[in-house]
Amino acid sequence: MERPDHPDARGGVDPAPDPDPDELNELLVESRDLHRDAMVTTTGALDDLVELGQDRRSVDGIEPDAPPAADGAGHGASSRVITFGGGLLAAAGIAAALDAVTAGPAFASSPDVRMLQTAASIEVLAVATYKTALTLPFIGGSAANPVVKAFATTTMQQHQEHLDAFNAAVTRLGGTAQTDPDPVLAKVVQAAVPGLTSPVPVVALALELEQGAAETYVADVAALSDAESKKVTASIMGVEAQHVSVLLAVQALLAAGDPQLVTLSPTDVAGLPAAAGSVGFPNAFFPTDMARDPGEGALS
Amino acid sequence: MKRPKRTTPVMAVTEAELAAMTDGLDQLHNDVGMPAMRSAVERWSSESRTTRRGFLIGAGVAAAGVAVAACSSSSGTSNTTTTGSGTTKALLTGDLAVAALAASLENLAVTAYGDVLTAASAGKLGAVPPAVATFVTTVRAQHVQHAQAWNAAITGAGHPAVTGPDKTLVPVVDKAFAKVTDVSGAAQLALMLEDIAAATYQSAVSAVKATSSIRVAASIQPVEMQHAAILHFVLGQYPVPDAFSPLAGARPLTDYTG
Repeated sequence: MERPDHPDARGGVDPAPDPDPDELNELLVESRDLHRDAMVTTTGALDDLVELGQDRRSVDGIEPDAPPAADGAGHGASSRVITFGGGLLAAAGIAAALDAVTAGPAFASSPDVRMLQTAASIEVLAVATYKTALTLPFIGGSAANPVVKAFATTTMQQHQEHLDAFNAAVTRLGGTAQTDPDPVLAKVVQAAVPGLTSPVPVVALALELEQGAAETYVADVAALSDAESKKVTASIMGVEAQHVSVLLAVQALLAAGDPQLVTLSPTDVAGLPAAAGSVGFPNAFFPTDMARDPGEGALS
Repeated sequence: MKRPKRTTPVMAVTEAELAAMTDGLDQLHNDVGMPAMRSAVERWSSESRTTRRGFLIGAGVAAAGVAVAACSSSSGTSNTTTTGSGTTKALLTGDLAVAALAASLENLAVTAYGDVLTAASAGKLGAVPPAVATFVTTVRAQHVQHAQAWNAAITGAGHPAVTGPDKTLVPVVDKAFAKVTDVSGAAQLALMLEDIAAATYQSAVSAVKATSSIRVAASIQPVEMQHAAILHFVLGQYPVPDAFSPLAGARPLTDYTG
């Protein structure tokens, strides 16, 4: 099957022929329902999170001051949109661009909103994918490694929290919450589902999604102009990178035929191969060349 | 525009092949991660030089409130001031002050990991698992690269590199290291440093002004988080403890400005 013709589509997972998306689609619907329920109960918590971040910032770290300068984040957002979005501002014209800044409905589809909706769409897909994985006996069943099962469960929950956070940011900016998955990545996942017959391809698929998410958010923080959205995104990008690290380590141990070393026991660290000590962080600087298109998962 | 496709690396079976794969990942780093960071640093330096000449105001003008208070900065990127220790030195302001703080944190990490390697070599940490030795060596090298990146922005703007550690943290780290007697203790100390660095860079993402500065901070913060994840693993802890990375522990600019 031909991989989606997208500049960001990655080749990390072997496509499978004739995918049957029914199971995944069902889970995506369930995920959306779960999301709606969660949004009701977590909106207040997310507000608290933002306030907590503001409170902490007043004590810890580097204190920001004035709004971004002319060459600040806003410029970054514009340039990235032009790069990936086909010259949105140029096409709309200066008058329309001004409208986009000042008018409510237009602001609801601003570059920031589109980026955040895309981020939410990635999270929708991640939640659904981990949920699918947890239905597999070797990931979420009795045959599963306990650490792998715990990781899949916890990571799914963390992605749900990320989804809620991104959608809270979207709605705060006047946009519509995104409850559908990234359409391009969803095809990649759908193609991979029939091949998820052992932990190895599951880990590879999760790794692909996590790497793409992390790179997208690293790129987003330089492009977002809204300060609060930037803070939320910055607080998530490193967590996705940690998911990548865990998956790289698990992938290494599975490929090496050492699944028994996938534990959280300090005593088992002695049995790890030397190279396992560096496999979880292959880049000194986190790349962004696989970041998703900022508008890929945006609502039209 | 087509982006180059990158495949997820797959581990081989043997130790030798594992090592070869790691070498391959190093190449991947050189091919993928480094160019984007270099581009951001070069642009940052260019912007800072322009600011220093007074043609562009914004990128280097006292981005952090603490620096404003400490330095009473004008539109320049450096100020002469008297530090708490009584010595007179030129202090950077704005994004470059953040870079200086970051470089000092990286220098501290490089020294700390170096001390761990020295202690391990001297047998002071007991048996050191091969994976932990690889971790310390690799992470130290990455912190060297991070320090070089921050300093490239500083020297590119015509200022001397920051070669010393964060002086506020040095006594804290020295005190903690004196109590380290095994790998677990060393991992706990390293985790503290990684958490501090990650939180500081996360804070920096919102504090710096130039897009190029944000890109540098954003490209390093996730890597420090990855170091922390592996350290949690070494300590037998869940490797991704938080859904949102905390800002607690982020260092203020006063670590640099005194």
